[in-house]
Amino acid sequence: MNKIIVYSEINAEKVTDASLELISKAYELKLQSNTEFQKDILVEAVVIAVELDELSKQRIYKAGADRIIFIKDTSAFCFMPTIYSKIFVDYFNQNPSDVILFPASEKTRTLAPRITTLLDTGLVADCTNLELVLKNNDIKLASTRPTFGGELMATILSKKIPQCATVRPGTFKIKDVNLGMKEYFEFTPSIYEENRIKLLRSLLDNKVSTSTLQNAKIVLAGGYGIVSANKIEYFDKLQKLAKILNATVACTRKVVDYGIMPSSSQVGQTGQTITPELYIAFGISGAIQHIMGMKNSKIIIAVNEDENADIFNYADYKIVADAKKVIDDMLGSVL
Amino acid sequence: MNIVVCIKQVPDVDDIKWTNENNLDRQGMLSKLNSADEWALNWAMNLKSKFKEASVTAISMGPNQALDVLEYALAKGAERAILLSDKSFSGSDTLITAKILSHGIEKYIPDYNLIITGQKADDGDTEQVPVSLAQYLNIPDVTHTVEIHNADKNSALVSQNIDSEVNMYEMTTPCLVAVKKECPKIITPRINDYIRAESTAIEVYGANDLGLTQEQTGIIGSPTVVYRAFRPQIEKNTVEIKENYARNILDMIFKV
Repeated sequence: MNKIIVYSEINAEKVTDASLELISKAYELKLQSNTEFQKDILVEAVVIAVELDELSKQRIYKAGADRIIFIKDTSAFCFMPTIYSKIFVDYFNQNPSDVILFPASEKTRTLAPRITTLLDTGLVADCTNLELVLKNNDIKLASTRPTFGGELMATILSKKIPQCATVRPGTFKIKDVNLGMKEYFEFTPSIYEENRIKLLRSLLDNKVSTSTLQNAKIVLAGGYGIVSANKIEYFDKLQKLAKILNATVACTRKVVDYGIMPSSSQVGQTGQTITPELYIAFGISGAIQHIMGMKNSKIIIAVNEDENADIFNYADYKIVADAKKVIDDMLGSVL
Repeated sequence: MNIVVCIKQVPDVDDIKWTNENNLDRQGMLSKLNSADEWALNWAMNLKSKFKEASVTAISMGPNQALDVLEYALAKGAERAILLSDKSFSGSDTLITAKILSHGIEKYIPDYNLIITGQKADDGDTEQVPVSLAQYLNIPDVTHTVEIHNADKNSALVSQNIDSEVNMYEMTTPCLVAVKKECPKIITPRINDYIRAESTAIEVYGANDLGLTQEQTGIIGSPTVVYRAFRPQIEKNTVEIKENYARNILDMIFKV
């Protein structure tokens, strides 16, 4: 293994945190390879975008990249998977690597399978851990991912090269690495046209506050246990509390299914993975698929009436009580 | 207008059972139609009702047990149902599943205009098969679709909600749409529909029919291989707070 490529995504003209997290993880794999296998691996960040600003470049190096490859989207497709996949494969075929890692934004999750299908190789989705293992004298990428709603973890290897994986935002931490060598290259891809698909209109969805939840230090999460007769009441109260306490409200899949909260607020394997300083679970039973999205929070407080609720297995602090009453009491104290 | 709907039978993830050796007890688990595929079927039926001559074909890859979900698709109003089934398909990863589906569609539904799939499967949750399938068929796709505004033989007009953006696309057919939201018009089959469905034979094809060798499919053909499987372990020292709940929580919030 000589090189790990991290597909680095630009969103709103900036490199995304999820990309930086993955670059830092690739840097960790590089260190592992150095110590365990005495082999140096290059960490290469590949960016396809209309523009790559200086700040993003510096952040990419700082997170642990040895080299940046910038592929200019001259046609300003601004993300068109059928084109971006071809552009990427153009670059890859001339500059192959053993591993490609993709940050799992919704867009990248749509692009990555196009790329791996073109390269006729596998893709392991939503890995929660990546490590290198020695198999038949080869250094291989071992990707661990939850399956069956998180009830089972599977570590997966790829028989083919490149070995590819996607990783959800918030899974790894961004490191602060200062590397001496910093390479920068630009790659000019062939010109491609796409007449089969036309973007007619693009709007920002204001209801979606993904980034707020990702950056939140304190998260107040509500589950089915605080769904009252008039459904939304306790979520309104949580919102009120959150506003006063500078926190962000999140919820479980069931709450989204009931139409009480938007899916952008959903934490879990099928929602967002977050790692706030403090995660407070109100009336959440602790279905494993929810746990997958919050278990790495720094401190977890769980409030639930059922003293045997699974959530308590993951909590630092356990409160056996009616979560609705605790919310009322908290509101009473701060109002 | 020929619509193809890809469907999958999945184990009920809310009903997972384990053997004494910590393996999944697949025998004991209930199976159901993947939720997002139910939405895909509803979108397809809704579109079909707008045309005099439109047909919906449901296709699935899986064991014989998957005949159940195909029968259900027929009861919901599909004209044809195809099961791609072969012992050698077992253990196929997303790439190979997409490859098998693409062979089945190209050979048995060559005149398709639109493929509708669910955005994701409840069990695997990789969201990779629809995109991979579109790539194998070399057609454009829109994932994360929240609305199919219109579609006919020539084009499809759809809206997508992806990473906080709402995008509207027009695609020329053939194309693929992966839906992540239920269709406003839901079709619930009645007993008569099931009886009518029984008169339609489900077509079943194997690796040979599709021109695929055993080496190209299943565990052997798949590029990814499970190295080990384990249940996640929990290591937490939980402290119980027994009084002044609200005060204690607020104190911890103020410390952050």
